[in-house]
Amino acid sequence: MVRSPDSIPVPSEIETSDHELMLAVRDGQVARLGELFERHHGPLYGFFVRLTGQRTLSEDLVQQVFYRILKYRHTYRDEGKFSAWMYHLGRRVAADHYRKHRTGETVDREEVNLEHIPDDAMDSGEQAEKNDDLALMQKAFAELPLDQREILTLHRFQHLPHSDIARLLDCSVGAAKVRLHRAVNALRDSYFRMRRHDGAR
Amino acid sequence: MNCQRIQDSLLDFEAGALPAAEAEGVREHLKSCPDCQRRWADLQETLVTLDRLPQPAPSPRLRNNFYAMLESQMEAAGESGNPFHAPRPSEHWYSFLLPHRALVQAAAAVALFGVGIALGSRVWPPSDKTSGETAAQLAATRAELAQLRNQVDSVNQLVTYSLAQTQPAQARLQNVVATLGQKKTDEAELATLLGTLAFDPSTNVRLSALEALYAHADNTKVRQGVRAALPRESSPLVQVAMIDFLASVRDREAAPALEQLTRTPRTDEAVRTAAQRALAQI
Ligand SMILES: [Zn+2]
Repeated sequence: MVRSPDSIPVPSEIETSDHELMLAVRDGQVARLGELFERHHGPLYGFFVRLTGQRTLSEDLVQQVFYRILKYRHTYRDEGKFSAWMYHLGRRVAADHYRKHRTGETVDREEVNLEHIPDDAMDSGEQAEKNDDLALMQKAFAELPLDQREILTLHRFQHLPHSDIARLLDCSVGAAKVRLHRAVNALRDSYFRMRRHDGAR
Repeated sequence: MNCQRIQDSLLDFEAGALPAAEAEGVREHLKSCPDCQRRWADLQETLVTLDRLPQPAPSPRLRNNFYAMLESQMEAAGESGNPFHAPRPSEHWYSFLLPHRALVQAAAAVALFGVGIALGSRVWPPSDKTSGETAAQLAATRAELAQLRNQVDSVNQLVTYSLAQTQPAQARLQNVVATLGQKKTDEAELATLLGTLAFDPSTNVRLSALEALYAHADNTKVRQGVRAALPRESSPLVQVAMIDFLASVRDREAAPALEQLTRTPRTDEAVRTAAQRALAQI
């Protein structure tokens, strides 16, 4: 019987690594996938929301990734790195979704609206202060091309090292850094342009 | 080094990924080049603002669906058994709110870079083009920093926040997280934790910092820092945790601040109750 834990597990000193967990799942302890889910579903969900701008769809995509992890667990390598593999499957799942729905890689930007997502991590006072900047940043980010949003998300929100990003995007580490550089510059230019046009400043 | 090369390396500089000599070159150049200073300030502001975008959270539907899927797959494979380790009970009532280690790291990154900016603008004053509003904010931040500086003056290690970081960002964060429950922590780390408690925008991270400070509650500087942070803390949750902290070490010097809280009409009810209880304890 599998049950969802009621509380977030407290990290312990002797935490099993993702890799060890995934090897256990691969070698038959399928139920331990629950631990990997608890660790990674939040960030993975954030990845999809930033990519697609759609919350319900993003939940479905996370579900599909974990389904594929289970389905393809036998292909997980001894020397593998779990998070890189998970994002690899994540990109495939997203690509499959868009292929099925014939929208290619264009994302409906009207739906990109994170401003109304309640943020428990920030207090209301601070939020009011920062709201203008955050709203502009949200807009600037949403207007970037998909590939730039993706590389920024992988780097800045998912904290993947350059080498993992390069492997995911199937390019050299140098090329990944150049792409990241361009994405940051594009974001910066767009953000400050919007701020200049924002009359209040 | 010319400006183009400096500007191309700012992203690595920000990440702490430059070799020491190169980082030193960038720092030297920034001291005297307004153009590159501007670039550097813009880059930092962009990244810090990006980092502060709200983290979207999934609905309970996702977890339910996942466990339903896992269960059906296991049934199909003929497996059974509860896979979960019992969560380790933590000594503080709010521990269930503490985020996973990875989240603490991410949030701590925001905190460090945020304070880095504040200090950075002290070291390199913004150009004249800065609007009055921003200048006022900077002044407020400076005043807060000065206040905090006084609190930890003899520790005098706020410099750990400075931009002069040679360690990679990841390693610096690990240091913050590694202090959780650690008995032997040096003063620089304590200053970092106190800075996080006072300045971090995330309630969870401030709680984590407080959690880590428990191991050092016998240190007068630490108690001073918590006392200083208490009145300016905006979250009742964190305020109550701070009050519990001060009560647990029977910090007599906290009495005036606690009394002030019980008298102020706009104090949250839970905070008022906690303050009254603490006053009886200390
Ligand atoms: Zn220059």
